[in-house]
Parts: sequence; structure tokens; C-alpha cells
Amino acid sequence: MAERYQPARLVRPYAITGGRSGTDLPLIELEALVCSTPQGQQMRSELRWEDARIVDMATAPLAVIELSAKLDLAVGVVRVLLSDLSDKGAIEITTPLTAEDRDMDSAAYTDLLNRVLDGIRSL
Amino acid sequence: MGLGRSKPTELIPVKIVVAGGFGVGKTTFVTAISEIDPLGSEAIITQASYGVDELAVGGDKTTTTVAMDFGRISLKTGLILYLFGTPGQDRFHFMWPELARGAIGAVVLVDTRRLASCFAAVDFFEKRGTPFVVAVNTFHGKRLHDLEEVREALQIPLVVPVVYCDAREKGDVQQTLVEVAEHALTRVTGSVPG
Repeated sequence: MAERYQPARLVRPYAITGGRSGTDLPLIELEALVCSTPQGQQMRSELRWEDARIVDMATAPLAVIELSAKLDLAVGVVRVLLSDLSDKGAIEITTPLTAEDRDMDSAAYTDLLNRVLDGIRSL
Repeated sequence: MGLGRSKPTELIPVKIVVAGGFGVGKTTFVTAISEIDPLGSEAIITQASYGVDELAVGGDKTTTTVAMDFGRISLKTGLILYLFGTPGQDRFHFMWPELARGAIGAVVLVDTRRLASCFAAVDFFEKRGTPFVVAVNTFHGKRLHDLEEVREALQIPLVVPVVYCDAREKGDVQQTLVEVAEHALTRVTGSVPG
């Protein structure tokens, strides 16, 4: 795949997060779904530009990776922004069932896999 | 709610990883079935998000730009299925654990003219215990090798499905994903789903 030309940034990526890389935060999965809340819509005007864009884009659920691509921001930067927005109650994050959850409740996981199978079959 | 949008808790994300050597057709595979524009599917991955170890090793080089393929398929059963293509080049293997984390299963796409390029992916998913199927990409519809020959060459256990898949054809891609879900179910329930 051809390298895409990228103009120089005016703001260094991690300046947006105040230099935080987010390694101290719980890892948000790339496919976790982000959805803005009514509170998020209300506080929109008080939010910084990037945060307001996330609230706008996530009126319908969007994955972390999609937000990263659409904002053209590193996943690590987006994770820090999402963590802060979630703390403010501006967004809700739905995380996938991880391997650890599966061991705890394999009936729920079997049900999930059946839904995946039925869903793909009926595409 | 009043806006007619679904609550986030009603939709659950699930993920299937598409792996294989560089140029084997992973992007084609994902694009064939994804509902989102493949042009939007580039993201910048920062190594800093993969833990401090890489940073310590990598010195002051903290960011790597990676063209990441991903696709989205909304399923009628209340799920959003994300397909993640692993970057093919060896230097991006550091990303594989995160991509595979939480995946319900994986597809290892194979080009029979370059079998060796998929060894790393087969090894990775076997060691991790991620259910995977081997899909032999039939470039231009050509089935150059018998599936059992491929199985033997790659030393794939009999329980792992090996299938043909023209990565350009949505139907083929769909069938391959069905195989992944069925295989994952078999692993969980110990029986073949109906």
C-alpha cells in the first residue's frame, strides 16, 4: 500500500493529551464501541475541539479504531481523550467480551458465538 | 432517548483477525465484505500505546505510522463485527498480540505460491489458542493445490478447517467467516454446530 502524504502537524500528537501516553489507564480495545451520551451533547460547547468532534461523531456507536482513523489521530492519543470523556460522563464505552470473561461464563460466550454465526449467515 | 439511536449496551462489538503474509490479499478480503469505505481505514498506531517495554527498547522513537486495514459488518443479531487485517511486514509483528486480544477467531490467508509467508501467523494463533481457519486464496479463481496438500505442507491439525476462498468474492469471504464462527463454537461446545 502506498504511503499517504501527510502534511506536517501544527500540534504534536501527544500535546493534545498534555503529554500523557495513557499507559497508566486501562487499555480500551480497538473495537470497543464509543457512544456519546445526552450529557455529552449538553456539555459539547465546553469541550475542546477534538473532544467535541468525538461527541459529534459518536452519536451512533463507533469503534475506537474508526474514531482514530476519522480524526487522523494515533490510537494512543484517542484512548487518552476517550478515557477523560468517559470520566466526565460525556460518552459510554462498550467493551467486547475478552478471553477472561469467556472462562467465567462460557454459556454467555456460546450464545455470543451463535449470534455471530447467525449474523454472518444472514448477510 | 428520543433520538432513535440505540443505547451502546444494545450493540456488542466482536472481532475477527485476518492474518497472512504481505500481499496475500488481506486488504482485498476485508474490503470485499466491509460496509465502510476502505479509504477511511488507515490509522496511526503509536508504539507508546503498546506498553513501556517497546519504548525502552526503541529509544526515543515513539511513533510508527501503520496502514491498518479494518472493516465493519453490522450483523442483524445486534452485533458489530470488526475485521482487522494484520500488517503483513515482519516489523509490525509487535502489533499482533493487541489485534488478537479478544478476537473470537482468525483467518490465515494463504498464497500457495508463497506458503512460507503464513508460517508466522499459523504459529502465532496456535500458541495463543485463538481458533483459526486457513483460507487458500484462489487468485483469479485458480485452485493450484489440493487443500489436503496445503494442510500437510503447513502441518495444520485435522480439526482446523482449510478452505478455498477467492478474496475478491463477497460470498467466499462470507463463507470463510462462517467457518471461523463454526470452528470457534466447536472449540467452546465440543460439538459441531447445526
